[in-house]
Amino acid sequence: MVSDFAAVAVFLIVGVGFVLFTLLLSKIFRPSDPNPIKQSTYECGEEPFGPSWIQFNVRFYIFALMFVIFDVEAIFLFPWAIAYQSLGLFAFVEMLIFISILLFGLAYAWKKGLLKWY
Amino acid sequence: MPFDIVQFYADWQTILPECFLLVWACIVTMAAVFSRNSGEGTSTGTYAIWTLIGVLVTAVWVALTPDGTAFGGTFVFDRLAVLFKEIVLGGVLLTVISSIGPVDRMKLHRGEFFGLLLFSAVGMMLMVSATELLLLYIAIELSTVTLFVLAAYRKANRKSAEAGLKYVILGGISSAVLLYGVALLYGMTGSTELAGIRNGIGDLFMASGSFPPGLTMALLLLLAGFGFKLALAPFHMWAPDVYEGAPTPITAYLSVASKAAAVAAFLRVFFVGLESSQTLWVQAVAVLAALAMIVGNVTAIVQSNIKRMLAYSSVAQIGYILVGAVAVNTWGATSMTYYAMAYLFANMGAFICVIAFSNRMGSDEIDDYAALSRRSPTIAVFFSIFLLSLAGIPPTAGFLAKYYVFLAAINNGYLWLVIVGLLTSVIALYYYATVIRKMFFPLDQPEGGFPVSLPLTIALSISCLGVLLLGVFPGPFVDLAQAAAAMLMPGM
Repeated sequence: MVSDFAAVAVFLIVGVGFVLFTLLLSKIFRPSDPNPIKQSTYECGEEPFGPSWIQFNVRFYIFALMFVIFDVEAIFLFPWAIAYQSLGLFAFVEMLIFISILLFGLAYAWKKGLLKWY
Repeated sequence: MPFDIVQFYADWQTILPECFLLVWACIVTMAAVFSRNSGEGTSTGTYAIWTLIGVLVTAVWVALTPDGTAFGGTFVFDRLAVLFKEIVLGGVLLTVISSIGPVDRMKLHRGEFFGLLLFSAVGMMLMVSATELLLLYIAIELSTVTLFVLAAYRKANRKSAEAGLKYVILGGISSAVLLYGVALLYGMTGSTELAGIRNGIGDLFMASGSFPPGLTMALLLLLAGFGFKLALAPFHMWAPDVYEGAPTPITAYLSVASKAAAVAAFLRVFFVGLESSQTLWVQAVAVLAALAMIVGNVTAIVQSNIKRMLAYSSVAQIGYILVGAVAVNTWGATSMTYYAMAYLFANMGAFICVIAFSNRMGSDEIDDYAALSRRSPTIAVFFSIFLLSLAGIPPTAGFLAKYYVFLAAINNGYLWLVIVGLLTSVIALYYYATVIRKMFFPLDQPEGGFPVSLPLTIALSISCLGVLLLGVFPGPFVDLAQAAAAMLMPGM
């Protein structure tokens, strides 16, 4: 019982140690030649302006939330699609129910005007 | 796996009331946005009536559904589940009736209020039927996440926003604590089903002759998680602020339905899954119950806001319920179930009185209740009955409820706990009686009497009838509680 958890602890220590070790190695071996362009933040090729610690519009939050929901849906759909042949009608109906629950939320948000920026 | 239509129907039959209520909740929520003027043209009463229809149909459906287990034994529909589902639905019913006034004043999102209430009820109904810890966890989340929103419903009000935020943070922490306990249990017993956990703990004990140290840790985490959900001292810190800030009907709902559901879940987890390891947790439960009774009752004395006072009083009440949990047998479970029934009517009734008062006076301060009997004798008399029931004075339900839990504890040798309970009951009587004294004295005539609206009168009458019936004719209700408790201990 306790030894089972010891294995977990060893795994944890080795895992953390490995990351630290590789970081340390690259720190030792890599050349260090900083310049302002290298140290600037990479923003999809755009030149950054202003600090990044600004107050974001709260509307982003709604979109982030909706994105997460559909992201989770997609993750859930992949294994279902792969095992679709062997799962049969039952899983199909279950998935329909799941998607209709999500659609319910989407319809509600849409009707409430949350998908409009203004 | 071939598709078995008979098994499929047997499985779904037990969960159909929840499915129905879920669909109904969706309909109410959708009606709120798709009817004319995005639902703002619909009157609050219309929403309330449709919600009530859904709740009543579900209540009848639950009563008619035959017992059974479903989904490989993770969901059980037995007498315990039926009783607590009806308690939850009763709580929702009274909440909906009493929310008409407060919701009407909120102007925005009135339909969604009732929809969310129903979603939360679905979570609680699943909670009392879950015999698998992950299902239990999801059910708890469904009921609390909706309650976070409902607690912060008056979002322009600072206290309501504070209530919502505090509830989110504390709810999140308590879920994490609970889940950690579940994970440890799973790690040791290899099962998340209560029956499997029970067998697993038995095997562990047989193998080594003692319980592994991790089990104590898991039990403490589970107790702490349940402690947060039940607002048990010392995990009650969130309760007064949330109770004060939330809209009063939601406070009532939080303090009654959500606690009743958590008591049922507690009974299943601790009396079934962890029954064999009771030597590890009974002492801890006794200490927590004593703490809750002392802290709740003593702190309630100094409150000047009626909602805060009732919040601390409900902390104490949950302590009394848990006194029954030191008797891990049918009698202990019966007394706790009976207490939950008595608590439903008394506490719900008390909060409805607070709602009726603040509908007219816009105040929750105890001092403003002065001479209420001259202005609204109805509220004053009903409120007194409910407070006396909470204090445990015969012939109300509270007296017998306290009597049963104390009896169960004494029979199991917890005399000290009963003495603490009796002493704190006296303290409790002091602050309940202070409110009653304020309502009936002084005798001079203040300006302006006010009537109570019809829905609130109905809700008050239902609660009052419940309190008195349970107190005067306890027989059938004790039988119900006993039948429910028998589900936990099939061997006894």
